[in-house]
Amino acid sequence: MAARNTPLVLDFCGMKLSNPLVLLSGCVGFGEEYTRIKGFSNKDVGAICLKGTTLNARLGNNPHRVTETNMGMLNAIGLQNPGAVTVVKDYLPLLDFSETRFIANVSGSTIDEYEEVTRIFDDSPIDAIEINISCPNVKEGGVQFGNFPEMSAKVVEACRRATNKPLITKLSPNQTDIAENARCCIEAGSDAFAVINTVTGMSIDIKKRIPVLGNNLGGLSGPAIKPIALLKVHQVYQACKDKNIPIIGQGGITTVDDALEFIIAGATAIGIGTALFYEPLLCKDLADGLTTFLKENNLSHVSELTGTLRLNE
Amino acid sequence: MSQTSRNTINLEDAKVVEHKCYSDQQYVLRLYAPLTAKEAMPGNFIHLQCDHSIPMRRPMSIMRAEPDKGFIDILYKVHGEGTELLSKKCQGDRLNLLGPIGVPFKSTGYRKLPLLLGGGVGIPPMVFLAEHIKNNHKNCKPLLIAGSEISFPFQVTPSKIMVDGLPDGVIASMPLMEDWGIPSRLTSKQGYTGCYDGFVTDLAKIWLDTLDPERLQQVEIFSCGPTIMLEAVAKLAHKYHLPCQVSLEEYMACAVGGCAGCTVMVNTESGQAMKRVCVDGPVFEAGTVFPQ
Repeated sequence: MAARNTPLVLDFCGMKLSNPLVLLSGCVGFGEEYTRIKGFSNKDVGAICLKGTTLNARLGNNPHRVTETNMGMLNAIGLQNPGAVTVVKDYLPLLDFSETRFIANVSGSTIDEYEEVTRIFDDSPIDAIEINISCPNVKEGGVQFGNFPEMSAKVVEACRRATNKPLITKLSPNQTDIAENARCCIEAGSDAFAVINTVTGMSIDIKKRIPVLGNNLGGLSGPAIKPIALLKVHQVYQACKDKNIPIIGQGGITTVDDALEFIIAGATAIGIGTALFYEPLLCKDLADGLTTFLKENNLSHVSELTGTLRLNE
Repeated sequence: MSQTSRNTINLEDAKVVEHKCYSDQQYVLRLYAPLTAKEAMPGNFIHLQCDHSIPMRRPMSIMRAEPDKGFIDILYKVHGEGTELLSKKCQGDRLNLLGPIGVPFKSTGYRKLPLLLGGGVGIPPMVFLAEHIKNNHKNCKPLLIAGSEISFPFQVTPSKIMVDGLPDGVIASMPLMEDWGIPSRLTSKQGYTGCYDGFVTDLAKIWLDTLDPERLQQVEIFSCGPTIMLEAVAKLAHKYHLPCQVSLEEYMACAVGGCAGCTVMVNTESGQAMKRVCVDGPVFEAGTVFPQ
């Protein structure tokens, strides 16, 4: 899996990533937004997941869409997007594919919609497709597909029919047996996993006695969910390790040590989301920190750490 | 967005130069943030990390910028844990910020009577805009009306600048505006001396009614404040057929357009759209966000 000429360069489902860092869907718009910040470059990360995209344009949820929580935040954007055809026609041409790998994030209300959106992205320069079967913030589809292994597998199967590009299934933490779900998705043709999506939660305005978010509930992200995400990565890794299925570990990673924990638990790549809101240039530091750790521990490549967790007897 | 938007927002470690406390937990913070100060325009804001223990940033309007000295001024009221921690910052402390962010007010000077309406923590952008008009559109004669239901975050002074048509006794003003030769008046329902007993829109209406049609045609409204006030401002502008720009606020996460967390419904030529307050705004044409 590793391209060993440099310690962080990876092969991820046939994509060459310059480092294991992946900017997460929903945090960086359609790939260009963070480049507004001086010093930020898409070249600093291995891949960027674009905003969740459906077949038709969606306005998304009413405000408020985000709110801060202890060591994290809740969001309920509601998949605001201009529709897959517009994304391919108007947004992808603005991206510089020499800078990094771009991954589409596909969503839908029906299995047919997932398949159709995947087909639209298949006929585009996009490098890979992430299947969002775990969005907690829309009233139909999304999390309903993600919480049941059989349903998840059906979505993956449909997307698999529509593309030969790498398929990454984004798994929900809001389910009973995430490893079983992963097994079903592998059978259905998933090439990789993103673990985890946000954890559903709520925040209440005590003066008005209403939920703060317009959507009432939302997805919790940030350091508050890190221990949950770490365990889920460990569990999904058990279903993946013998099949050479890589995992993007994600959920509350803000430091080099966090990233290392996820890699040791079984992640091949590391997803960065909420932490970007804290420190927009964080990825440079994370990449440097990972390189330093490898050097200090006489490791020649980051993949030597993946899944090296030794459980206590 | 196109790649032409690249590299337009600075990330800098600002230094606290001065931190003044006013009544009702209101503060004026002067920061040495030379990169932001150099590019800031009225209506722009910064995304400020109040303290290392609370990593999520807060959007705050820029009240003044002195590009030569590298200063920016921020007015804020303690509202929660983040601003509480911010209020403890002392001279020399460092604060990380992104800025300047957002679409500023379009102030072209083509209408000679800009009417600036600010409410509460929406007053700062109006101060910045007043200074900008003073420096760039010398033939304009702005009037600033500021409202607050808590004490004003400055020493209220009786105005020496006459404004025709306003009720007798409504003479409370902002000293900075007096220094700049710009008339300002204050409103409140709290019975403060010299303030108009009502809302900014009430006093604005009284003033507008004193103008003859020719002068009325020279008025353009700029406003920032609570949503309920901006709705009233939009209604007023519509009634008098005046162009009006409003600066909105909404909870924000990234503040650079990445998360779509701060959107508002906007009427566009191609129908309704959700626009991001951070980079599509915060300034919008009033009629597009508050359709009449």
